[in-house]
Amino acid sequence: MKLSDLKKGERGKIVALNLKGALKKRFQEMGILPGEEVLVERVAPLGDPVEIYIKGYHLSLRMEEAEGIEVEVLK
Amino acid sequence: MREIKIAVVGNPNTGKSTLINALAKARLQVGNWPGVTVEKKEATLKVGDYTLAFVDLPGAYSLSPFSLEEKIARDYLFTERPDVILCVVDSTNLERNLYFVIQLMELEIPLVLALNLFDEAQKLGYQIDIPLLERLLGVKAIPTIATRGEGIEELKSAIVEVYLQNKIPNRLSYGEDLEEAIDRVRLQLLTLNPQLEASLLYKGLLIKLLEGDQELISRLNLKFNPEEIKKYLQHIEKVHGEDIESYLTDLRYGLATGVVRQVLHKPEIRKITFTERVDRVLLNRYLGIPIFLLMMWLLFKVAFDVANPYVDFVDETINGPIMKWANVGLEFLEAPEWLNSLLLHGILAGVGIVFSFLPVIGVIMLLITFLESSGYMARAAFLMDRLMRSFGVQGKSFIPMLLGFGCNVPSVYATRVLEQERERKLTIFLVPFMSCGARLPVYVVFVSAFFVEASGTILFSLYVLGIGTAILLGIFLHKLIYRGKSSPFIMELPPYRLPTFRDLRVHTWMKLRHFVIKAGTWILAINVVIWVLLNLPWKPNNPEESYLGKTGALLAPIFKPLGFGDWASTASLLAGSLAKEVVVSTMAQIYASEEERAQEETLNLIEDLKGIVFNFGAKTKEAVYNLISTMGIATLQVEEPEEAKGLIVKLQEHFTPLSALSFMIFVLLYWPCFVYGIAVRAELGSFKLYLQAILIHTLVAWLVSLLFYQVGRILGF
Ligand SMILES: Nc1nc2c(ncn2[C@@H]2O[C@H](COP(=O)(O)OP(=O)(O)OP(=O)(O)O)[C@@H](O)[C@H]2O)c(=O)[nH]1
Ligand SMILES: [Mg+2]
Repeated sequence: MKLSDLKKGERGKIVALNLKGALKKRFQEMGILPGEEVLVERVAPLGDPVEIYIKGYHLSLRMEEAEGIEVEVLK
Repeated sequence: MREIKIAVVGNPNTGKSTLINALAKARLQVGNWPGVTVEKKEATLKVGDYTLAFVDLPGAYSLSPFSLEEKIARDYLFTERPDVILCVVDSTNLERNLYFVIQLMELEIPLVLALNLFDEAQKLGYQIDIPLLERLLGVKAIPTIATRGEGIEELKSAIVEVYLQNKIPNRLSYGEDLEEAIDRVRLQLLTLNPQLEASLLYKGLLIKLLEGDQELISRLNLKFNPEEIKKYLQHIEKVHGEDIESYLTDLRYGLATGVVRQVLHKPEIRKITFTERVDRVLLNRYLGIPIFLLMMWLLFKVAFDVANPYVDFVDETINGPIMKWANVGLEFLEAPEWLNSLLLHGILAGVGIVFSFLPVIGVIMLLITFLESSGYMARAAFLMDRLMRSFGVQGKSFIPMLLGFGCNVPSVYATRVLEQERERKLTIFLVPFMSCGARLPVYVVFVSAFFVEASGTILFSLYVLGIGTAILLGIFLHKLIYRGKSSPFIMELPPYRLPTFRDLRVHTWMKLRHFVIKAGTWILAINVVIWVLLNLPWKPNNPEESYLGKTGALLAPIFKPLGFGDWASTASLLAGSLAKEVVVSTMAQIYASEEERAQEETLNLIEDLKGIVFNFGAKTKEAVYNLISTMGIATLQVEEPEEAKGLIVKLQEHFTPLSALSFMIFVLLYWPCFVYGIAVRAELGSFKLYLQAILIHTLVAWLVSLLFYQVGRILGF
């Protein structure tokens, strides 16, 4: 399952990052790493981007990038 | 006296600039969103026998830069080698901040951590074992609250202390393979560059060589053997089954997480924060955008309603008592007539009117400063990203645009947070459509002359029209010239914060100062030139026969279809291409010269001073009433209709409401000012984009005004 599939209020655990190059590195450096828990806080009014809560802070990113982040849903 | 060079770095928005302001009594730009500081700035402080020279650097998440401002931080650290690094850490997010700290430790320079935002960490119930943190990393760590100046003294002594002891942070072990590879690179460099000191071959640099950060390496002038380095690299990548960059990130995060696990104690249950509750409303799926628009409307309404009485006050004071006494003084000195005319009609009328708008510009600046410090800017970027993407830029571009409502010039610099050159250029190109403070004078006089009832709505509509035009032109240019995909939007949303009174005061003034200085220097100079053009050939029978009048009349037909093809407004627009304040100051001069100044009444200085004070009181009362009625608490009708003043009467003679609107639209959109041009050159290296902007913006302005005026006429306005 991908991060982009999670709905508002759902939690997930990051399994893998299917991204490339500088972008992948940037996400890793911001703490988006396998094993981390994420919470989808909300989707922006125009449908994109999304806001997530991870490692104790709020981050916004686009659906397109969220598609590259593989998660498993947490209950 | 020794100077200690201190680089101040850290993740974005952790309070670096605020901390330097507190340390060195500086006035660096601060704001509550990531990416406020975009270039290095210095501030110094004397402590005992030492001069501490702080260098404020843009925030960075790592030493592998993603955007222009991050590059500035990296370059400084690698090429300047400061004496001490002061890393400002967000105590509420220790783990991600320590990732960066661990990279800094690789530089092998004495390191002090300011555990800033300590108040917020305490509020969240975090407990940090500071002595243990210091021991694990081999650094000094001081808890600080930059906004309240807490921890400042301790920080100063810590800096001097690590400097004197030359306290190099612990060298954490990166695992056998990597350490071996690093050692081999070191050996290779020592052999190939025998002149090099061993201490300059620190871990961070050697890792950069392994990572192959070409851009940085090429600047360091080192001889090395890329083939061999590649061999070490391949070895590591094979053993760990990961590319070196991912491996390094994992490794450093592993270290950071390990440290955090030992030193940080968090409460079991996470409480919903104030910020999260506010965002449920402000970023609500349905309410988010309406609330944004409502806030903007309120911003302009409040600015106009509160400041307008003071605009009248300054105007009445300058054109009343000051003008009168200046005249008396000049007559007493037996000044020649031309000097009298230059000083009174040229400079005092022209510059005076610009000064009279400082209250309204000031209020706008205050409100923008408030928005900047509140944390809403990042939210605005979040709300607008989708829309901005339609022309190939990202949500972060919206921040420079919002800042543009104050002044377009800082917006040009603020685009450094954007990752791509193309996005930066396009954003810079569109910024002038954001209506800056210099355009307000035009709107305010015209609104006062024609639309007093609907002031807020008219102003708001103009600003929205500016944004709308930017978006449409953006889409068009994106399809045509600036093709390409916007860069990914990755932005931290900071907590909402209440601005400190000091920050509001200092940063409002810093913004306003720009306008005051400009008005007192080269707006004044332009006014002198205009006065000359308005009075040559010497003493024209009426102003229309002056050089300015003739030029205006020559070009006036261009503006006929827009509804204001008279020579005076044309001449004002021409002059206003240098700076938009000049539009009204030129009008003021032209109309002042048309008008025979009435013979002054009694001369009584005491009475006049009393009058000024009394008038100020009356205007303040009016401002308060306006504010109350804006807030909807009561609809208070303020006093008798005022007697219309010189310029306003003249405008009512020369314009209809429709042509006035058309004129305002033209002023909003046409010809970006010269200072903007200078900023463009500074950022992009040439005037090319400025020249393009002049052409295209003026054309767009003409077309939009034409459309507006003609449609309005057909509809019978
Ligand atoms: N509550 C609290 N707020 C703080 C503290 N330090 C800074 N702030 C606020 O945090 C925000 C960011 O401050 P800046 O000084 O602009 O941060 P910066 O690190 O220079 O940010 P960039 O230049 O964008 O990297 C501002 O709104 C400050 O008022 C603190 O110790 N406590
Ligand atoms: Mg800063």
